[in-house]
Amino acid sequence: MKKTILLLLILSTFVFANINVVVSYPFIGALTAKIGGDNVNVETLAKGSWDPHFVVPRPSLIRKVAQADLLIINGAQLEIGWMPPLINKSSNARIQPGSKGFLDLSHSLTLINKPSSVSRSGGDIHPDGNPHFSTDPYLIPILAKSIANRLTLLDPTNRDVYTQNYQTFITHWDTKLEAWAKQMKPLEGTKVVQYHELYNYFLKRFHLISVGNIEPLPGISPSSRHTLTLITQMNEDKVSYILQDVYHNPKTAKFLQGKTSAKMLRLPHDVNAVHEADSLEHLYDTIVNELTR
Amino acid sequence: MSKSSIFKSLTLGTLILPVLLMAQDSSYTSYSSSFNQSAFIPDIALIVDMSYTNRNVKDSEQENLSLLGNAYPDYVEFNSNNGFNLNYAELTLHSDVDQLFVLDGVFHFNTEGVEIEEAYFTTRALPLNFKIKGGKFKSDFGRINSQHQHVWDFADAPLVYTSFLSAEGINNIGLQAQWLAPTPWYMMAGIELFQSGNGTSFSNESFTAINNQEVEAATAPNLVVAYLKNSIDIDDTTLILGINVATGANKSEANQFDGSSTVYDIDFTSKSYFDSYSYLTFQTEVMYRDMDGDNLNSLPSIQDAYNQAGLYAQLVYAYDQNWRTGIRYDTIFKDTLNDTDNNTPLNRYTVMAEYNPSEFTRLRAQYSHSDAFLEQGEITPRNIDEFILELNIAIGSHGAHSF
Repeated sequence: MKKTILLLLILSTFVFANINVVVSYPFIGALTAKIGGDNVNVETLAKGSWDPHFVVPRPSLIRKVAQADLLIINGAQLEIGWMPPLINKSSNARIQPGSKGFLDLSHSLTLINKPSSVSRSGGDIHPDGNPHFSTDPYLIPILAKSIANRLTLLDPTNRDVYTQNYQTFITHWDTKLEAWAKQMKPLEGTKVVQYHELYNYFLKRFHLISVGNIEPLPGISPSSRHTLTLITQMNEDKVSYILQDVYHNPKTAKFLQGKTSAKMLRLPHDVNAVHEADSLEHLYDTIVNELTR
Repeated sequence: MSKSSIFKSLTLGTLILPVLLMAQDSSYTSYSSSFNQSAFIPDIALIVDMSYTNRNVKDSEQENLSLLGNAYPDYVEFNSNNGFNLNYAELTLHSDVDQLFVLDGVFHFNTEGVEIEEAYFTTRALPLNFKIKGGKFKSDFGRINSQHQHVWDFADAPLVYTSFLSAEGINNIGLQAQWLAPTPWYMMAGIELFQSGNGTSFSNESFTAINNQEVEAATAPNLVVAYLKNSIDIDDTTLILGINVATGANKSEANQFDGSSTVYDIDFTSKSYFDSYSYLTFQTEVMYRDMDGDNLNSLPSIQDAYNQAGLYAQLVYAYDQNWRTGIRYDTIFKDTLNDTDNNTPLNRYTVMAEYNPSEFTRLRAQYSHSDAFLEQGEITPRNIDEFILELNIAIGSHGAHSF
């Protein structure tokens, strides 16, 4: 009996030695694993291949949040439809918003496309601005810094480890950024349409021009009237690519491809959205390769 | 007043006047925003539910119908009239109170008045995954009890809920404690203590019975609810199994009953997701009610033991974000008074189809056929056909989707 208790104690100290980090999306998980290294256990709540706005709040996710020491979210209201009940039902005091164990990554960035007026007649809009900053590889270092700082705050004894991991990551990432910029250079000024304004950060970074969306309003399914207007506009603007995400039905995008000279590309928006995008690095490799093929 | 002081006030006046005029200009109202508290306004939402209903029972005939001794009008809390119905305008307020508490208020406005549907605090900082809730709130008994009408998959609650727990379900003043176990799967245990229930099984009132017997209400609080909920995932399918029990005094003037009731419930849900928007859900609950006490309709009162059981089973399929459809079977299959079966199964069949043009609007068409309700003095149930076209619209803060 005594032995069992002792074993349990040892086991529990072993488990508690690591910081349990729970993150909303796979790209945050991949980044946290790079910075935290062996000192963190990372659990990801959302699937990379599904719509980030509509994550299913399964009870198993409540259990994961309940055991977190740190909860890292994308923020900018991307999780508004599914995260609040998980936090509430987890009864976990450590990760309540405003506490040390809660990190909203959008707070470390300046968001683009912040609407000047807010009304739901304009669709299911994000009032704080476009939350899909994960598509811009240049913003990753800022997020990495934010994560490193928070891990240090929670676990000051391993400060040097996090700093070292951050440095190693940044050095490597800078060479990748240069390579992607070089690959994307010839595409400057290329015109595209998207299903949802999912790639705006990427397009702005590499100077591509988005001339329209397949959905008539954010979060509203395509309508035939809107699609017909879009065809006229795409032909007038000589649009080269239709950027289709992996989770919406590509029916309308395929139809547009047939009616215009634009080519449909199914692009990942997150790690594991497609098979090739199995790491943070490969996520941007895949997007860039698809566009420059 | 000396000349110089008149001069002074004139100069002051000419100096102050433009300032006052400027203060009226909207670009010069900085002092008002110094004490602006709009950042602390709680999350507010308004949900309005309305319907067009058509059933082959005249509104005036409804009071003659009943199920298991409970009057039919009590079942039709919503969509009760033939023709147009404004079921409710639900106002919800939600905000953190401080570092310790969250406060929620849910108010139902209808044409007759306002009702506090829920008003409760929840703790946000208890250790070891404990949570305490207190106030007036919907119990977490079973799968549906805690859900508001606009979250239901059908326009009405299953027969077992309305028959055994009343049209409002278990919704009363009390305390709740919940604990999430540190198990590898989801396991949550909860216990609740309520002042009483809402009729049907858990009334608690003092009254003079038909046989002139005086009935004293039991000492409140006297309704105890306990449950254990488990869930696991198998790929993209989530399974939920809940075991629930509610027990308390049952002293009801309407039913001329003095005793106690216990309701047992097992709920099972299987929800399979095919992608972000499309899923198939199978959900069922079996409920068993045990009532012991005195029937006060006669003199002397008769010692009665009622045992009743029923279930519902439903299948809901979401084709995409916009379209959903579902079927439901409802039944009370056991109704025993003092060991004598006195009823054939009472059934209801329901189908529904929904169109959701956005996340904030839902249009639902529902048809049901029931042979569950008896007319006074009759022994064969009346066939009721009912068609409901329901519109549910929401504005304000974004309601998160519960599983």
